[in-house]
Amino acid sequence: MSSINLEYFFPHAKPWVESLANIPPATWVNGPTFGYASWEVGHIVSLVLLGGTTILMNLRMLDAGMTEEPPAEIYRNLRFWQNLGIVGIVITGVLIGSANAVKLYDSSAFVVKMMALLAGVILTYGVSRPVAAANGAVALLPKIWFAIGGAIFLAGIWIFSTTELIDVGIYHLITAAALILIPVTRGRLRWAYLAGMIALILAQFIHTHIVIKPDDYAHLDPVNKVYTGLYVAWVLGTGMVTLFRGSGEGGGPLTKLVAYSTMLVWVLGAAAGRWIAFQ
Amino acid sequence: MIGAFLNWLQHGFGKGPTPDGQSFSELLLGSLNFWNLLEGTHLIALMLFAGTILVVDLRLLGVTFRKTKVSVVSNAILPLTVFSFIFVVITGTGLLFAKPIFYYHDIWFRAKMVFLAIALINILVFHGQTQKTQGSWDADELPPRTARLAAAGSLFMWLLVIATGRFIPYNWYECGKPQPAFINWVEECKTSDKGEMNLAGQHL
Repeated sequence: MSSINLEYFFPHAKPWVESLANIPPATWVNGPTFGYASWEVGHIVSLVLLGGTTILMNLRMLDAGMTEEPPAEIYRNLRFWQNLGIVGIVITGVLIGSANAVKLYDSSAFVVKMMALLAGVILTYGVSRPVAAANGAVALLPKIWFAIGGAIFLAGIWIFSTTELIDVGIYHLITAAALILIPVTRGRLRWAYLAGMIALILAQFIHTHIVIKPDDYAHLDPVNKVYTGLYVAWVLGTGMVTLFRGSGEGGGPLTKLVAYSTMLVWVLGAAAGRWIAFQ
Repeated sequence: MIGAFLNWLQHGFGKGPTPDGQSFSELLLGSLNFWNLLEGTHLIALMLFAGTILVVDLRLLGVTFRKTKVSVVSNAILPLTVFSFIFVVITGTGLLFAKPIFYYHDIWFRAKMVFLAIALINILVFHGQTQKTQGSWDADELPPRTARLAAAGSLFMWLLVIATGRFIPYNWYECGKPQPAFINWVEECKTSDKGEMNLAGQHL
């Protein structure tokens, strides 16, 4: 896919987007020397708040992390800080975005980030938090929201992984998905999973540094894509085994899938946000 | 001496015998995607690292998980913090390796290292002193003043580490630009390729 961006969907909005740099809030943000960078710091701090609270709340539903407390107790203690993180990323994101509107208008990574934000809000408020509050039981409404949020999440992954110049960023999501499984898997499954992952990494390194010369891009590209597929298959396969192992907190495999997806959707948002700068 | 070492690290280390060969540092910086992946991973690992520290600090401040023992919160979270810290350090070292001369003469990088050192000392002091009496206040909704001070200090230091880290790419105080003598001194601009310039625009 070459690129999907806001310009593709709203080509007539270009003059308006260009004018945003000359009016508030962009002028407030870009005015002082430290202005823009300070709002970026606010954005990162909000991401930190969101990241810490989200992973603890959702790891618990995967039977990892703070297992001495029920999911509802973790939700009750972290919900305020998670709200603060999400409100923070939206406010700082709007301010940074207004000061940088032309670049975002032309960016596929920004489209992915917005899809991840939408899916993240749906999965967090519509699914993960109600499920945590119910100690893992998944009611009908969260199931509906999960279908909607999950579909947007998958569409975001599709755009991220198939758009030139940003597709490599999907490795952030694969890495996060792989790492989450380490504390979540148990016993022999964990060791088998790690052994397989290390074998794949070694095989890719040897293949792309010794068998094929590192500057032979024509041959490297398809080989790297095959390895990417193998990583995804290995992580997804282990993830599926983990989902269906044990009872989970009340809701079983669906609860775990909700928790896993909710953590990853915010990783997708953070990764896509970073790749706006690289595109 | 440091300047010569950094110069070798950036331009000489790993360089082949041919004149157009590149050093490992130059290869990393010029790589098609690897540097971007390093930087992105640094940010995502930071989300987990600082995010988990934040929750422990909030418990120590007595503002969340007040009914849960401090040890339960910290024992469950600490492995995640350590795990993510390893990623932060590895990716951060990689980023430093790609532009060692730039970072060495950057005031924000230097400030970040100072705040990082203070944050790590704060952790050591907490484990070495405050935590020795934890048995007596572990279940307290509001931990003692020393623990709260350590937590507040930790939050403040990590905030400064994040802020100064984010300021690094900006060239407000780059060597070779007109700036106060203090900045030139802190950045050791005299030993940099671009030299030092005073506020009147004169090269010194």
